[in-house]
Amino acid sequence: MRIFENTDFNLVGSRRSGYILSGILILLSLGAIVTRGLELGIDFRGGMEFVVESSQVLDATAVRTALTSVLETSPEVKTYSDVGAGGRDALLIRTPTEGETTEIQTRVVQGISDAFPGSDPQVIKTDVVGPRFAEDLKRGSLYAVLGSLLVIFLYVMLRFEWRFGLGAVAALFHDVLITLGIFSLLQGFLPFSLQIDQAIIAAFLTIVGYSLNDTVVIFDRIREYTNLFKTEPYKIVVNRSVNTTLSRTVITSGTTLLVVTTLFIFGGEVLRGFTFALIIGVIIGTYSSVFVATPVVVELHSRSGSARRAVRR
Amino acid sequence: MQGNGFKVGAVIFFLALSAWYLFPSFRGLSLNNRLEGMSQEERVDYERDNFSTIESIKEKSLNLGLDLQGGMHITMEVGLRELISELAGERRDEAFDEVLAAADARSEAENVSLIDAFVDEFENRDPDASLSRYFRSEEITRRSSNSEVTQYLQVQGADAIERAMQVIRNRVDRFGVTEPSIQTQGSRRIVVELPGIDDPERVRALLKGTARLGFHLMADPGELNSSLQRIISYYEVDIASPADSLDVGEEEINEEAESDTSFDVSQLLAETEDLDDVGNPLLDVLIPAGQGTVVFGEVAAQDTAAFDALMADPEVQAMLPRDIELRYDANPSSGSGPEYFPVLAVNMNIELSGDAITDARADFDPQTNQPLVDMEMNSEGARIWSRLTGANVGKNVAIVLDGVVYSYPTVIGQISGGRSQITGLASQEESEDIVTVLKSGALPAPVEIVEERTVGPSLGVVARKAGFTSLMVGLTIVVLFMIVYYRAGGMVADMALIINIIFIMGILAGFNATLTLPGIAGIVLTIGMAVDANVLIFERIREEQSTGKTLKASIDGGYSKALSAIIDANITTFFVGLILYSFGVGPIQGFAVTLMAGILASLFSAIVFTRIIFDYAVIGRRLSVNFG
Repeated sequence: MRIFENTDFNLVGSRRSGYILSGILILLSLGAIVTRGLELGIDFRGGMEFVVESSQVLDATAVRTALTSVLETSPEVKTYSDVGAGGRDALLIRTPTEGETTEIQTRVVQGISDAFPGSDPQVIKTDVVGPRFAEDLKRGSLYAVLGSLLVIFLYVMLRFEWRFGLGAVAALFHDVLITLGIFSLLQGFLPFSLQIDQAIIAAFLTIVGYSLNDTVVIFDRIREYTNLFKTEPYKIVVNRSVNTTLSRTVITSGTTLLVVTTLFIFGGEVLRGFTFALIIGVIIGTYSSVFVATPVVVELHSRSGSARRAVRR
Repeated sequence: MQGNGFKVGAVIFFLALSAWYLFPSFRGLSLNNRLEGMSQEERVDYERDNFSTIESIKEKSLNLGLDLQGGMHITMEVGLRELISELAGERRDEAFDEVLAAADARSEAENVSLIDAFVDEFENRDPDASLSRYFRSEEITRRSSNSEVTQYLQVQGADAIERAMQVIRNRVDRFGVTEPSIQTQGSRRIVVELPGIDDPERVRALLKGTARLGFHLMADPGELNSSLQRIISYYEVDIASPADSLDVGEEEINEEAESDTSFDVSQLLAETEDLDDVGNPLLDVLIPAGQGTVVFGEVAAQDTAAFDALMADPEVQAMLPRDIELRYDANPSSGSGPEYFPVLAVNMNIELSGDAITDARADFDPQTNQPLVDMEMNSEGARIWSRLTGANVGKNVAIVLDGVVYSYPTVIGQISGGRSQITGLASQEESEDIVTVLKSGALPAPVEIVEERTVGPSLGVVARKAGFTSLMVGLTIVVLFMIVYYRAGGMVADMALIINIIFIMGILAGFNATLTLPGIAGIVLTIGMAVDANVLIFERIREEQSTGKTLKASIDGGYSKALSAIIDANITTFFVGLILYSFGVGPIQGFAVTLMAGILASLFSAIVFTRIIFDYAVIGRRLSVNFG
């Protein structure tokens, strides 16, 4: 079976439509991030999270109302799909309240069983992050993201040349920004949590790694072909490189997308936000290798003068 | 085929290595299956009889993360601010408190060490001021420079962490958790991992309280021995009748054990001897001590819970001498095999509280060169100590921290003036341990829980199933896709994929890494990306074939031309894994580890292994391989 073999799409020529699409997506994302913001999880904000199992289905809004007076703030309450044996129903309760974990946990359990007699609430998962620890996690994540972008830029620069480095990093910013934008746009509309926590940062870095992987394969081919077809115009050479690698790009993205979707479906509630980020990231990352990273290289190349200079190596 | 001998050797070598590292995990799986089939009692007996085998299997098995087996992950922070305050003691003044508060705020905002921030703030305020105004010790005098004081504070800070570790380790030991892990993180944090905990409230309460250090008197050896005899005979009479049924239970287990060839003979012999004692449940777990000692007996580490349960009987408690309670020694008695802890009879009243201690040092006797501990007390403590030692010459005084006895030296003579020595210690290590304990009474640096993640055991099971299902479904989809798309080539790539997964597991087990749910996600993701190397190669081979080259030439060209893209693409992802590993905690690190292991394994299996197969098929057997 073969798909996308010997294609001859004018991908470099149609890069303008790519710019327009990416531009719109980036503007939308920035708009969403500025107006709607990003919801930080307790990893970066501090607070407590309890998953409470009960023997009857409890209405999230009613539970929130019941707990607001008990906790003296309004907690977030969501349904939680992973439950233990017996198929009991579970809720995720998130509160910024500070204090003794045991005491607050008792208040939550007591509050629920008072408001819903016979519901037999039990805490099956607890996450507590102190404010100071949250600051540290936030700082660590920021360093990790900046650090990996820097390392990637340096590596691509060493292995290729600065234009490719810039192209790769531009694509990565593009990917992470749009994924963040989609998180911001969709938060509150999906049945699972889209809060930014450590796992989401890990997902972003994985997206960065994946998108780069894709980009590097195309760059490698461009490097090979610029040496092979020295007489042809740079844009044609680049376009041929993208077309010959297109089959591989689609196959690898396809298999990766398949497994990531598998994880999204079967991996459970804990991984849902993480795998959702990966799904978006794989799609955007594949698109950006062809329509952002490569065009940036082409633009930089035509701007920096003669087409022969890059061929020198 | 020429030159492939080395490659074949490498594949076989790595497969064997993976199998070697994974073998204990397989034994662990079959052990768990067997244990699940047993009743509660059979299980307890079996676990006791095969203690060392089970321990070694558990130690070498692939560790499951807390999210997969349930348990608690707790990060604790040692209160350095309180420690600095405490060190300054009465010399503290308003300026000192202000500087400390400012330093605390700054250390939080800028992520610098509190001690550095403190010294810096202090010098900013008044460059000529001397820190030695506030601190006094052996090394620090009025004339000490600020840098000497800084160093002193740093040593004290490190000591405080060390003491907190000691206290936490001691408390964790009492939860009876199978494989607790306690590690320092950075300069002031301690991470505690407790698998399979089902009452987090108790753990929180126990981990948080400030450690209490006290000096206690001990039981009279004569009284203690008669108590011991009475308690032994109490259990002798009480359980004599149902002993028969217990007997049968043990024999059954022995039969089962014999059918398993992996047990060594000496263990079997030991079990048969055990049968004689079966009439007395107390003697099953306790090796009673002789006469004339404050030691009640010795209990193996895994029997402490059973022993505690037997001793909790109110009637048994009443048989102990008045005011006496049994406490474990912190140090197991030396010897191989499972650890045995001495049980000591300690008076429950605190004669002198640990906050009377002002300093403690490990030292050597100048004459005999034996290790010893120097201990100093404040004036009030010295007065009580003098009276206590004067009235108890020739008897033992127990140093009890958090309910555990760290040392029980014999009083040689009355000690007045507050300076004492503890001699007759076995090693320098022991003297240092005692110093740590003594100081934890003198300088209690409070410990606070700053992060907690608890997963109930039922959720752990759900996560395990979710991980396994994702792995299997993901693998099946990719395997089928590769066969459909690349035909025979795809099948070879699939074999590489399976080998790849074996390698990843082997790497995880070999490096003693922990498998978490994000870790499994990493493996599943790797499955999707691992075929990438083969996709790159196969696409190249197809390209080469379309230019009219022979199969052999196409394969050669495909591999060599795809190599640079494969390497470049994988190295960058590997970097990302490395960065993720260095910043992340727990589950995220698990993801990073599997991602990196996956990259290494897939590079090897996709490049080396598949090449061997193609070379064998095309050159060796002259077969035609279809790349779809």
